[in-house]
Formats: sequence, C-alpha cells, structure tokens
Amino acid sequence: MGTYVLKRIITIIPIFLIATLLTFGMINLSPVDPAEAYFSAAHIQATDEMLEQKRHEFGLEQPLIIQYVNALIKICQLDFGISYVTNKPVWEEISSRMQATIQLTLGSLLIAILVSVPLGFLAGIKKNSGIDHFSRFLSFIGASIPSFWLGYLFIFFFSVKLDLFPVEGTGTWKHLILPSVTLAFPLIALYTRLLRTSVLENSQESYVLFARTRGIREKIIIGKHVLRIAISPMITGLGMNLGNLMTGAIIVEAVFSWPGFGRYFIEAIFNRDVPVIQGYVLLAAGIFLISNLIVDLIQMCIDPRIFRKGRQHQ
Amino acid sequence: MSNRKKNKRFLLMSVMILIFSITLLGCSSESVENSDSTSESSNMITFAWPRDIGEMNPHIYNPSQLFAQSMIYEPLVSYQDGGELKPHLAESWKVSEDGKEYVFNIRQDVKFSDGTNFNADIVKKNFDAILKNADMHGWLGFIPKIDQTDVIDEYTFKLTLKEPYYPTIQELAVVRPVRFLGEAGFPGDGDTSKGVEQPVGTGPWVLDEYKVDEFAIFKRNENYWGELPSVEKIKVKVIPDAETRVLAFEKGDLDLVYGEGVISIDSFKQLESTGSYGTSISEPVATRQLVMNTNKEQLSDVRVRQALHYGFNKQAMVEGVTSGLEEKADYILPTNLPYTSHVDTTTVEYNVEKAKHLLDEAGWILPEGKSVREKDGKPLEIELMYNSAESIQKTMAETLQAEWAGLGVKLNIVGVELTTQVERFKANEFDMNFFSNYGAPYDPHTFVNIVATEGFGFREAISSYPNKEEILNQIAEVQQTIDENERQQLYTAILSSLQEQGAIVPISYIKKIAVYQKDISDFTFPANRDEHPFTGISVNE
Repeated sequence: MGTYVLKRIITIIPIFLIATLLTFGMINLSPVDPAEAYFSAAHIQATDEMLEQKRHEFGLEQPLIIQYVNALIKICQLDFGISYVTNKPVWEEISSRMQATIQLTLGSLLIAILVSVPLGFLAGIKKNSGIDHFSRFLSFIGASIPSFWLGYLFIFFFSVKLDLFPVEGTGTWKHLILPSVTLAFPLIALYTRLLRTSVLENSQESYVLFARTRGIREKIIIGKHVLRIAISPMITGLGMNLGNLMTGAIIVEAVFSWPGFGRYFIEAIFNRDVPVIQGYVLLAAGIFLISNLIVDLIQMCIDPRIFRKGRQHQ
Repeated sequence: MSNRKKNKRFLLMSVMILIFSITLLGCSSESVENSDSTSESSNMITFAWPRDIGEMNPHIYNPSQLFAQSMIYEPLVSYQDGGELKPHLAESWKVSEDGKEYVFNIRQDVKFSDGTNFNADIVKKNFDAILKNADMHGWLGFIPKIDQTDVIDEYTFKLTLKEPYYPTIQELAVVRPVRFLGEAGFPGDGDTSKGVEQPVGTGPWVLDEYKVDEFAIFKRNENYWGELPSVEKIKVKVIPDAETRVLAFEKGDLDLVYGEGVISIDSFKQLESTGSYGTSISEPVATRQLVMNTNKEQLSDVRVRQALHYGFNKQAMVEGVTSGLEEKADYILPTNLPYTSHVDTTTVEYNVEKAKHLLDEAGWILPEGKSVREKDGKPLEIELMYNSAESIQKTMAETLQAEWAGLGVKLNIVGVELTTQVERFKANEFDMNFFSNYGAPYDPHTFVNIVATEGFGFREAISSYPNKEEILNQIAEVQQTIDENERQQLYTAILSSLQEQGAIVPISYIKKIAVYQKDISDFTFPANRDEHPFTGISVNE
C-alpha cells in the first residue's frame, strides 16, 4: 500500500509540469499584449515608449523558454509573481481570498451531501414512488438550469420577494445559504441520480439475495450493506467535483458578490493579468490532482478490493 | 464490531466534522468581524460599484477607481458645466505672456484630513512625485512638457513648461495623477508609485472602513474647507454583477445606482416604469463614433463615406438599440465641451436615395441580379470591428449590416475583445471601428491630439483627406496658441473638416444614468466625467 501511495504522489509531478507548460503556452498564444491590456484597463492611451517600458518591467522581452523556466522556478517556491494590475504578490492576493471560496465550496458540498444521500437512497429503494419522481424533477432542474440563472431566481424569490436572505455579501450564515445552494444544485442532481442507480444495481446483486435467504432483515441489508457499497461511486464523484466546485464557484461568486478568488480571476482575465491567470490555473490544477489523490486513498480504505484489483493487474 | 469497521467510521466522521467546523468557523469569525465594522447610519447613502475601490493613492491608475480617488483628493482647478474651469485648491492663477509659466495662488484655508496645512510645499512635493514617474503619466499632455516646479512663497506655486501648452489648466482638473496627498501619506523615499502610507487628502470625504472586494465606507471630512456634504457617510458595496445590483436596489439594500453602463438599458427602463424610484439621465459625456479607414480603397472616396452616413437611420437605430438612453449625435464631439459648439458642417439626415446616388456616382454599381455593388469587378465589401463584450456596439453593427445591405454594401462584422480592438485600431488593421472620445475634462484637446498621433488609428483614418497636412498643422498650433479667439477658430476648423469629410461618423451621445430611492434628493451629475456625484446629494429623513 505504501508503494502505491508513493507512486500516485510521484505521478502528480509530471502531470503538474504538463499543466504548467500548457498554461504558459496557452497564455502566450493569446494575441493580446499584457502591456497594452494594462493601459487599456487603466483607461490610458499608452505611447510606444510606455508600452516598451511596461513590457520590460513585465519581463516580456525575454525568450519564451527563459520566461517559462523562470516562472517554473518561482512556482516551486510558491511565488506566482506580481500582479500586473495591483502590483501585489499573486499568492498573497489569492490566499487572502481563499477562505471565502473554501467556505462557499464546503458549504455547498455539505448541502449536496445532506440532500442527495437521503434523496438518492430513498429514490433507489422506492423506485417509481413519489420521492423518486421528485428526485428526478430536482435532478432535471439541477442539470439543466445554468448556475447564474438559478442564482438570480433564488435572489429574486428568497431575498427580494420573501426577504429571507441577503442579496449579496458576507457576514452571517444567512449570507452563505443562497450561494451554497446555487453551487450545490448541479451536484445534488448528479449525486442523487448516481446514488439511485447505484442502490438499484446493488439491490440486484447476489450478496443481497444471499443475505435475504439468510433471513437478515431488509432494513439492515439496505442500510448496512447496499448503501455502503452504493456510496462508493459517489465518493469518486465528490473528488472529481471538488476541483469543479472550486472553479465553478467563479460564476456564483460573481452573482452573489462573494469575495472569493473566482471573482478575482474573472477580473484578471479581463485585465490580461497574466501572473494571476497563471497562478489561478496552476492552483486549480493542483486542487484537481490532490483531490483525486485523496479520493483514491479514501476509496482504498473503504473498499480495499479496488486496491487489490489494481495490484493484480500489475 | 471489527477494528477495520471502526476505523472507517471514524474516518468518515472526522471528514464530516472537519467540513462542518471549517464552514461554521468561517461564518462565525466573519460575523464577529462584521458586527463591529458596519455601523449603519440613517444619514448614509449606500451605492454599488462593479469593482473594489482599489488603493487610495492619488498618483496611480489601475485598480484604483476614479470616483473614489476624487472623493478624497482634490485638484487645483475644477471642471464645471459647459467646460468652465473654476478655482479649487488654487484661488487664482496667472499665465505668462509666452504661455510657459503658470503661477498659482494657493487657497490658504485648506487643511488635509489629518489637520496638516495645504501649501505650496506640499503641491511641489506631489508634482515631484508625479514627475519621478513622468513616463507613466506621459499620456497627459502637460506632464512631459513640465520643465520646473517652484515654491515662490508659502502659498504661491509656479509651474514652468518647456513650451506653451494651453490645455494645462484643463488637465489639472483630471482625477489622476495631479491631485494632492498629505505629508503623512508619502512613503520614506517619496516615491508614491509603489504605494502610499495612508490616504490623506483635502477632499470632502475620508476613508473610514474598508474591506477588500466587499465594501468601503467614506465618512464626511468634518474639517473640510468647502461646503460640507449633507450626507454623513457613503457606503460603497462591491457588486460585480449588473443584475445583482438591480435586485439589491429593488430590495432596498442600495440607495443609488449610478454610472455608465452599470445596469442594462432594459433594467433601467423597467425600474423607471415602476414609478417607485427617481431616475436621471446626464448631459452627453461622449460621442459614439464610427471611424472609417480611408487608407482602404473602398473607403478612400468621400462619396462612399458620405453615402454610408446617409444610408442608415441613426434616429431609429439609437432609439431601438439604446431605448432612447442615448441621443442621436450630429457632431463628432458633444457640443457641451469647450470650443465645440461652433462646428460648421452639414448635418446628415437619413436619405437612402441620396446614398444610392452617391454610390453610383462613385462608380460602385449594382449589377443586375446581384445584391452587392461592384466596381471594376470588385465587390463593395467592408469589415466593421466591434467590442464583443459591448452589447450596444454589437447590436449597432448588426443594424448597420442590415441597413447597408439594402444599399448594396456587404458589411462583415467582427466581434473582438477590447484589447484586440485597441491593438488592431492602432496597427491600422481595420476598415471600420467603433470609438468614443474621452469626455470632460480631457476633450476636445485630447481627441484632436490622438487624431494627430502616429499609431493611433485616426491618422490613418484620415490619410486620404486632401487637407490632412493642414489639419495636422492646425492641431499642433491649437495646443500652443495663447489667443482664445484663435484657438476657437482653429478648433472650429479642425472639427468641421474632420467631420465634413466623413471618416468619423457621429452616431450617438453617450450618457450616464442614475436610479435612486425616493428619499434621495438633489442628485446631480458631475461635469467632470470621472468625478463622484455625492457633493450635493441628500437623504430626506
């Protein structure tokens, strides 16, 4: 098991390197000159000398490969450079906004789990019942309505019309509810259906039949055995979605004026603030890689057969 | 229960507890912070802005917001309605006969918000800090022309230029970088480009509380030398999304929504139609223009350019696209700017027949059975570039495409990002482009200056004007002349000629909007496009 974990950690390094290369390449493929973008964001008509000086300041006159290697060395030291716009270290800017994004992400993850686990489970064991139809309806909405639109609808009904929650900002737990629910909605749709299918499939498995013939009560079979196995794909989904959640928070943060780093990233894109874009994309890549690793490890603890199967194939 | 099962349950429980505790910890710590910070006041106006106010440094640009800088810092001269330049921190000024020396008498009753004196020394210190980074501020015409700054006595300051430049006084009214920071705000080395110690200004407001990306509260500067604002506090909430701003306003969380393009036209119309709120639309702040590159063969003929101007219903387009929030423009600069009201040019009224006739005359004939005009076998095809993020530009481009198709002109419309639009314009890689001038207090001199500047698109746009050289000479002359009448005549000649030859087509006058709750009164738009609107505003108890 130790070797497996080590191997998984080592494979992260080349993947991360590829991510840095892709990010760097894509940003440099963009036809927009960051120096030009810097001045147009400040509504200044830049002269050629001003542009030249800014390019020099940003280190853009160096060959691409040197720019890349320099950036890579700095990233290893958690130095993502200085924002072109605010003149402050990117890591400082991102980390100061990180708490708000993590709070939102965890809030929505919690809501997604609290809603989808019982709903998906009940929909699975009571197929074609009222609750199953309800879960289907909820999943349909969650999968088809874009987050920003859902956000506006929530604000309109729950804030403006019913005055139950604030429209925007942070401060109390009430501020967290609407953005978290908005962000959680697509996840609820996904997990509910995933769990329902998984419960249905597992109910047909031979171990269930065997348990029944042994005279074990249905509640125990479903609650203790089926649910435990059925929840496994959902955990994989959670891991995959943690990264999605962090990055998906961008839209929700903008709609609810949530001061997280997603919003900061949007502004960086408009301003062509290359160090920030680079820092954000790499951070997102890191989150994806690490959350997948954690999920794999949790899976291994819950269901060691996955790990054993992997080893047999080697 | 086996140990393995216990371990798994323990692991799951731990993960859940961790998630709960981090979430709750975040909420509780923030609520504590928030409870001491937002001390609501009944005499406070809350309004929303799309971005954080940024660093309150009077000498830097991005990401600082102009309106917020103008709340704290003041200019020597202020720009008023109709382009009038009024004394502000300078009580009066005198320009030498050769137009190179400007002597300012500094107002003596002014104190910074920390109680220190405003005098000629601090004026010089600020100018010197700005000149340390003169390259950065080179876009403002008079900065590179400054030769010397001198303190004559405690309340007299002298600015010496290398050559005469009449818009100096007008440029002193801009929001940045020529506004004044108190001594306590300067860093040790005096270089404010790297940041300021604290935002100490002479303005009517001081920054009271601030949370990055969330809000800023400005309170009244009780030691203000001028008339005190009637409102005690201004709270600026950062709400990046326009629709959320509208919803927050409808809920009553905001007292005021103000600015250019801060909410959609539909939202403005909808809020106005309820009758529950006050609404205002400003005087024109700029002209939306269509710039044609006369370097391109199809557009080099003045008759083609004029035909295109005659060939679209400007009034209907402005009403349809902007719901009447913008006004049909007859002139390339709004006529409420200095020196712009005497322009002598034929105003163009929609006339399809005349447009077709002009195109025929120019040799672009519609062959039978075809929908696009041709000349020497080449179709009349033009590309119009627009900013894809600006819905008004996009819709106007589509309207023009449809209107000109009726004339037999094939208009290809291309949506690009703002930065690409600027780059392509500067590199002359365009047939047609949208542009809007800078407004007060920058124009008309900044506009004519960029027309004359190499590598800004306009110089190429007018390249086939027969009197191009004459226009360029007039532009150079107008900046140097110290004779008011001569200056007026030159501006009239420049603007008339630029417009008459049709490379710059005025479309509409851009305006600012404001929507406010019924308890807000005396709202007026500042004459300076970048200034804040809070000076005269009041809240009815």
